[in-house]
This record gives sequence, structure tokens and C-alpha cells, in this order.
Amino acid sequence: MENSIKAFEESFPGLSMEAGRDGNVVLSGSCRTWEEVVDAGHFAAKLEGVKHVASKLSVNGVPAPRKDYAPYRAQGLEKGKIAETDALVIGAGVTGCAVARELSKTGLKVIVVESLEDVCAGTSKCNNGNIHPGHSVTPGTLKAKLNVKGNSIYTQWAADLGFDLVRCGAMGAINDRRLLPGLMQAYGLAKKNGVPEAEIVDARRALEIEPGFARMGVEKQIVAAIWFPSMGLVEPYQVVLALAENAAQNGVQFMFETTVCGIETENGAVTGALTSKGLISAKYVINCAGLYADDITEMAGDPYFTIHPRKGVIAILDKERKPDFDSICEIYTIEYLKAKPKKNSESKGGGMCITPEGNVLMGPSATEIPDKEDLSTTPEDLEYAMGRGGVKYEDVIRFFAGNRAADYKEDFIIEMSKKVSGFVNVAAIQSPGLAAAPAIAEMAAGIVAEEASRRGEPVGANPSFNPKREKKVEFRKLSRSEQDELVKKDSRYGRVVCRCETITEGEILDTFDSPIPPRSIDAVKRRARAGMGRCQGGFCQIRVMELLAQFLGKDWTEITLKGEGSRILAEANRKGAL
Amino acid sequence: MTRAQTDVAVIGGGPAGLAAALEADRLGLGAVILEREAELGGILQQCIHDGFGIHRFKRRLSGTEYAQAFIDQLEGSSAKAHLGAMVLEIQCPADDERVVYAVSKTDGMIELHCKTVILAMGCRERTASQVFIYGERPAGIMTAGQVQRMINVEGFLPGKSAVILGSGDIGLIMARRMTLEGIEVKGVYEAMPSPGGLARNVSQCLNDFDIPLHLSSTVVSVQGRRRVESVTVAKLDESRKPIPETEEVIPCDLLVLSVGLLPENELSRHAGVEIDPKTKGPLLDESFMTSVPGIFACGNVAIVFDLVDYVSVSGELAAQGAFDYISKGFPKSFEYDQVNASGNISLIVPQRLKKGRDSGKRSFFIRAKAPEKLSKLEFSQNGETILSRKLKAVSPPEMIFREVEEQGLGPVEAVLEGGAANA
Repeated sequence: MENSIKAFEESFPGLSMEAGRDGNVVLSGSCRTWEEVVDAGHFAAKLEGVKHVASKLSVNGVPAPRKDYAPYRAQGLEKGKIAETDALVIGAGVTGCAVARELSKTGLKVIVVESLEDVCAGTSKCNNGNIHPGHSVTPGTLKAKLNVKGNSIYTQWAADLGFDLVRCGAMGAINDRRLLPGLMQAYGLAKKNGVPEAEIVDARRALEIEPGFARMGVEKQIVAAIWFPSMGLVEPYQVVLALAENAAQNGVQFMFETTVCGIETENGAVTGALTSKGLISAKYVINCAGLYADDITEMAGDPYFTIHPRKGVIAILDKERKPDFDSICEIYTIEYLKAKPKKNSESKGGGMCITPEGNVLMGPSATEIPDKEDLSTTPEDLEYAMGRGGVKYEDVIRFFAGNRAADYKEDFIIEMSKKVSGFVNVAAIQSPGLAAAPAIAEMAAGIVAEEASRRGEPVGANPSFNPKREKKVEFRKLSRSEQDELVKKDSRYGRVVCRCETITEGEILDTFDSPIPPRSIDAVKRRARAGMGRCQGGFCQIRVMELLAQFLGKDWTEITLKGEGSRILAEANRKGAL
Repeated sequence: MTRAQTDVAVIGGGPAGLAAALEADRLGLGAVILEREAELGGILQQCIHDGFGIHRFKRRLSGTEYAQAFIDQLEGSSAKAHLGAMVLEIQCPADDERVVYAVSKTDGMIELHCKTVILAMGCRERTASQVFIYGERPAGIMTAGQVQRMINVEGFLPGKSAVILGSGDIGLIMARRMTLEGIEVKGVYEAMPSPGGLARNVSQCLNDFDIPLHLSSTVVSVQGRRRVESVTVAKLDESRKPIPETEEVIPCDLLVLSVGLLPENELSRHAGVEIDPKTKGPLLDESFMTSVPGIFACGNVAIVFDLVDYVSVSGELAAQGAFDYISKGFPKSFEYDQVNASGNISLIVPQRLKKGRDSGKRSFFIRAKAPEKLSKLEFSQNGETILSRKLKAVSPPEMIFREVEEQGLGPVEAVLEGGAANA
């Protein structure tokens, strides 16, 4: 470790690295740019003996912006104790919801707290839904171990939970024999990671599997390809909602707009969390707080890693713009491999892919930023996301940003705190976090079960656990005669509210009939797709607002786009006067 | 399934569809309107300002009054309307048969067998993503049409202080409307060097209310993580790139977009109708028939109009076209003479004329590329000038409508030229 400290301080004069227990280090000092802060973190993480990196680095003396928890603490303390549970899961993204559902199989009572107004309202909603095969992650990492396993569980998940999963496969083709060694290397890596059914295919077979080469008129260029049939695509918000609804059916309680602002411990064991709604006592606290996981572990008194947000911008194209390829496909040329920018090297994704609903997605980009809450888009990010040409800007119907919750090791952190027993970090979950989610959840639940056994109070099983969640009606996917029958049975399916995506009133009302009903316009959009089309809610937002206000028993002016502070209307000018 | 038959299925019950159905009825055809909303009239139902019908009724009506005039006539006709009926698909199983599938609460799936279809779905507004506004995505960004609906129909104010991007007509109308309702309108920003809306609207809606219009300027980004807190505006250089030194932050809680209309042709495209990349509407001939025989188009789904009076004219032309098509026994394939537009013309409808047509009067709708004073519009055919008109001024927002007597044979050249040479 001493050599590592020396190496760090030589490379980054003026900064210091301090070694703590178990190979965890803390960086401090002032850098000139945010880029340098991130570089220093990555450099330290790669040094021998370094397990985790906590960074206190500032830019010219100004620390990275942080959430101010003081007002939440004040609110929470005033309310006192509000609930008691066995397991408290912090965060209702894909990780938190998957962990909660996994824990609902046990005899534990589970509460999930989420700072936003809905499940899947943060990082989880902003990704391109790739269920990666696990071919390109570094062997030996947690990412590698959990990605392949997670991918294989998705088939069962989709069947049980009723979400769309398309196994489109992924192909990497080459146009030059000189690239064959690279292809073999990729194959070796995939085998090492245990990716099932990976194969090297010749040009003839590649053209058979991927008709897109012929459509694009590039079939003559293809020399060989590597093929991963297990690559899958999902709509991420469908997955997260399905997990949450199923968890709720199995007894998990969800609390929204509830911000954790303190972790309670006693004699080295966790006893609960202070939230903006009050104190919740718990035997086990599972930190699935995404971008804020470092804040939470610090609240627990064990600040051994730092999350540095990495922004990704994704552009959604009009459904009329068909994808170039049927699979997730890339043609590698010598020029491309030389020119490939390094800045995306830590994050998977990028390029063109399609959603199960049929929209082409471009991106994401990858930009290191200091502020976790900064979801602004820039022309540079969009340009990066739009890729190497061939896609027209006029086909874009929406572009948005999400921030990946990366740590400096660039690997998942799934372990119980060494300082606080019962406090489990499930942190630094970035790509392939969605693909790995089923395996991450199993691993996290396993850690809780192990700790429970150690305490002599095994978690047991939930005898009434039901893994199934019914898929709701999707009018657009029915045949004309099925649609006719449906409307005859229930006329509410006969009124199309969202014309771009053909979403009916019945489907919007169905979203209310849920243990996790929507509370905002965006929440309805994620559930029913109303407003996801080319007009972006231009016509249907008002009708959705009307239905949501009715359901929530609220005035129109109280309806929000995405929770607190995002009201759509200012005041009534006529109705109020009546 | 509710199965029904008619001569003409009209998709959309706005001004174009209403005019088409009434004209079809007048010509003795059976007509059925399929309207997705709960009432007829289309976007006119939220237009409570005046200025509609100056050409047709020689009066300044409100949008609602203009629509009502047609709705009243429809009630006295044999044309029918299905309300709340969303068309899902158009099929063409035989030369003399099209099938339109629509769904409604009352009728379930409607399978309407018809001889002809008239597309009259109108257009939609361009969104913030489509004009590439960067920054955050908070509540408080709305299209001008949404704001109009909220204030005029639903009775709610969407903000307290607004910036308007784009000087299209709805944006200008809403600048005045919001001001009258007590919303502070901080300014209208237009990326082009000239206004996007009609001169009369700039005068009556902005100048009369001291609302500043900033030309060659745009909104580059939005700030505010939950609700709009401010927008950053900037002047644009000649290549329409923002000039960084001119950036200015304008505090506001509402950004209203009036940045263009797009004909809604997804249904048309899926029926195999060829789209003109310029008008973004179907490629039309002199009878307003699309590239698919028996399918016609009119109103804003064909080309975005400036005045509703012309929308009604186009509906009537399409109905006449449907009548002729049925009378001639469903001809299958056509050859065309092109209408070649040049000079200062950006859009023209119709884009082509059927070969073997009769000679006679043709209606042309034209938009200019750039504002010009003293212009000359000339139509020629087979080397002969068939129309020549001097125009005091032309500008992109004001559509030029001309009826031209043509020979019925050979392509037509249309030229619009500006400048003192034409004085």
C-alpha cells in the first residue's frame, strides 16, 4: 500500500491518499478541473492493494455539490418513530425493487423508501433497456459474475412478472480479416465470463442471422462475426414496475417522497433509518440508493466509497424510423477501432438499439459531471449519442439524460458494511446493472439471510409468496376482433386517449388499479405509454391529467409532471370562479 | 364489429373534413365522418379569437362560430358523423373498396366499407425535443396549442410569466390571450429573420400589447429541475447558430412553443400513401387524390394552411375529386404531368396533374420561401403563359391561392419572382 500511496502522490502532486482498513483509501486535496478529480479517483482505484476509493477531492477548493439533508432531518425528527420493519430497502429503482421482491420470498417484513414520487423515477428509467449477454465485462469482477447469471434469469422474470423481453441477440461483425484475432479475443473473453451460446460465425451464417446487412447493402463487406443469442431488450420501467407491484402483492410496503437522512446504529449494528417522514426502525437496512448510496453509507458511519455521476444522453426516434439491424449489431472496421473515443470506455451501451415497443434509441453518451442532480442535456452529448451518422435529427422525438451511479473501481459493491452489521450496501450499480439485477437481488438477499442466521434468527420463507404478476391489457397489441370484444365488454377501451401510441382510457384507468398507482403524469406515461409518442403528450396530457386528478381526488392545479415542485398549472381562470 | 357502408369515409371532423363531407353530400354521395374527439370542429373549438371566415362569409367570425356554421349544415344533410371514433387503419382490398377500421366507446370496432377515403386529420405541433432545446426537462414547457386548450376550454392558467419561442400564428394569438388573462408575456423569440405568423397577428397580438418580438433569436436552454425557472435566449448568426456573447437568462415559469406544425400522416403512410418531403403531406393531383387511387387528402394533413377559408376550399376540392373518381368507374392507374415550381416557391399543392384530364380551372396553394416585395407569379404550360399576376408583397406565412385555367395537357411551370424588375 505504501508504494501505491507514493505512486498516487507522485502522479497527482498536491493531492493526498490516506489508507484505511482493508485496502480502502481516502483521497483529499484540490484539483483544477472535475476531469482531474475523476482521473485521480480512477488512478487510485487501479493501484495495487486498493479495494475502494472514497474521494474528498474538490475543484479549486470547491467540493462537489451534495444534497442538503438538514431540512429532511428536521422534518423527520419532528415526526418521531413511524414504523417498524425487519428489512428497510432504500431506493425504488431496479436494484431496490428487485431486492425487495427477493426479500418478499422470506419471512421478513420489508419496507421500501424512495425519495422521488414513483418507482423507476431516477437512473433506472434513463437507460436503453439492454440485457447484455456479459461478453464485454472484465472477467473476475462482480459485474462479470452477476451479468451472465442475471441475463439467464430474465426469461423466468419476464414470464412471471409479465413484462416484454425480446431476445434479439448481439452481433459484432468485422469487414477485414486482420480483425480476426480481435474477434477471437472477444470470443475468449465471452467464454471466460461463461456467456452461453456465444459463437464465431462465418459470413454466410452472419448474413442468415442478421438480415440487416442485406437491407443496408453491406453484405459483401462482412468477413465474420461474433454472435451472442442471449442479448435481450426490455422496457426498463416495465421491469421495475412489475418487480415493485409483485413485491407489494407479496407484502412489501412502499413509501414515496420519503428521503433517508440518517442511519441509526447501536453497538455496531444498524437499528433503522431516519427519513423525512419520520424514524423507521429496522434490523437490516439495504442501501440501494443509486447516485446517493455514498451519502447513505456515510450516514451509517462507513464512508468507504464515492459515487461519481456519469451522465448519459439518449435520443428516442420516431417509430417510423426502423432500426438498421434486427439484433444489436456493430460492424467493426480498422478505422472505427482506431477512432473509437476513450471516454465511453467505462460504460457499456452506445450505438443504435430498439425497444420492445419499436422505437430506435441512440446513445447513451458518457460524460463525467460533478452534480448528481444535473440532468441537463447539451448539444455535445446529443451529438455523441446520435453516433456515426446515418440517423437524421428530424427523426428524434425526445432526448433526455440520466446519471449512472459509478464508483472509482467501476464495479458493483454488494456487501455488508464491515463497521455496521445488518447494513448492506448494494451500490455502484451501473451498466450492466439492469441485466444483472436478478443476480444482484439474489446476492443481496443472501447476505441478509446469512446475517440473520448468524444472529440466530433465520429469515424463513414467505409461505404465500406468489411470483406471478398479471400483465395488463395492451389494446394496441390485440387483433381487430379482440379489440372489438374488449370494447364490448368494457367500453372504456373504446376511447383512444393517446393517439400516437394508441393508448385507451381503459389502459390508463388500469394503471390506477395497482398496489403502486401513479401519482404524476410521468408515472402514468411509464405505466401506460400515454405521452410517449411523437407528439410527446401534446394532445393527451390534458386528458391524462383529468383522469389522474379524478383518481387522486385532487384539483387539476395540484397535478404534477414528476412529483413535488413540478405542478403543470398555475391556477384556475374559469373553473375556479364557477 | 359494427359493419357499415358508404361512398366517402372522411377521417377527421375539423374544418377540412366538415367541408368535404358537406360537399360530398351536395354531390349526392353518402358520407361518414370519423372524428376522434367528442365533438366536431377540430382545433377550431379552442379558437375563440376572431378573424375566421373573411373570404367565405365576408365576416370576422370566431373559430367556434366558423365551425358551428358547418356543423349546423351537417345536421341538415344526410352525412353522418361518428364521434369519439379513432381510426386505426385503412385497407384497400379492391379497386372499388377501401375498409376503414375505427374504434369508439359506443360502437366498438367500426368496419367501414367505402368507395373512397378523404384524409382530413390535420396536423400536430412540433415539440421542445424536435427543435432541440437543451437543458433540463421540468414542468412548464407547453406548445401554444396546449396552452390555448388549457386557457380557453379547460379554464386553467399554465403559468404566471411566459416566454414564447416561435412566432407562428398560434404563438402570436396566445401572446395576446395570455396577456389578457394576466400572464406576463416577456417576449417572443423567433429563430428566423422574419415572423412565422401573419402580419395582422404580429400587429394585433404583439404590437398592440407592447410585447417585444426578437427576430433571429432563440431559446437555447431551459433551467429549473422541477418547474421552469428561467430560459436562456441568444441571438443567432447567419447560419442560425447561437452567438454565445449574446446569451441572456430570462426568468419565467412557462415556455410556450410555437415552432411549427407537422401534418399527421402516420395513418396515410401506413395505407401506402406517398408523402411529399417538402409539404410533409401526401403527394396530390388536381383532384386532391393521393398516390393511392381512391384516397384523397385535404386541409392541414395535406399542407399547413394559413386561413381556415382555404382549408374548407381544399375539403370541397377533395370531395369533388372523390365524386369524379367514383363517376369514372374507379380508374386504377395514372400517369402524371408534373407541376414544377421554381423561384421563390417553397411549397405547392397540387404537385402533379393527371394525364388525360379535361382542360379547366385548377386550384393551387403556394407558399413563398422568403419575404419579398413586388413579386410576379407566373404559370406557363407548353411554352405559353397561362397566368401572370403581380403581387404587392409575398411572405412565407401568407399562403398564395390562385385558380389557374390550364389546357389539360402537359406539365405546368410555376414561378414566383421578386424584386423591382417585376414592378
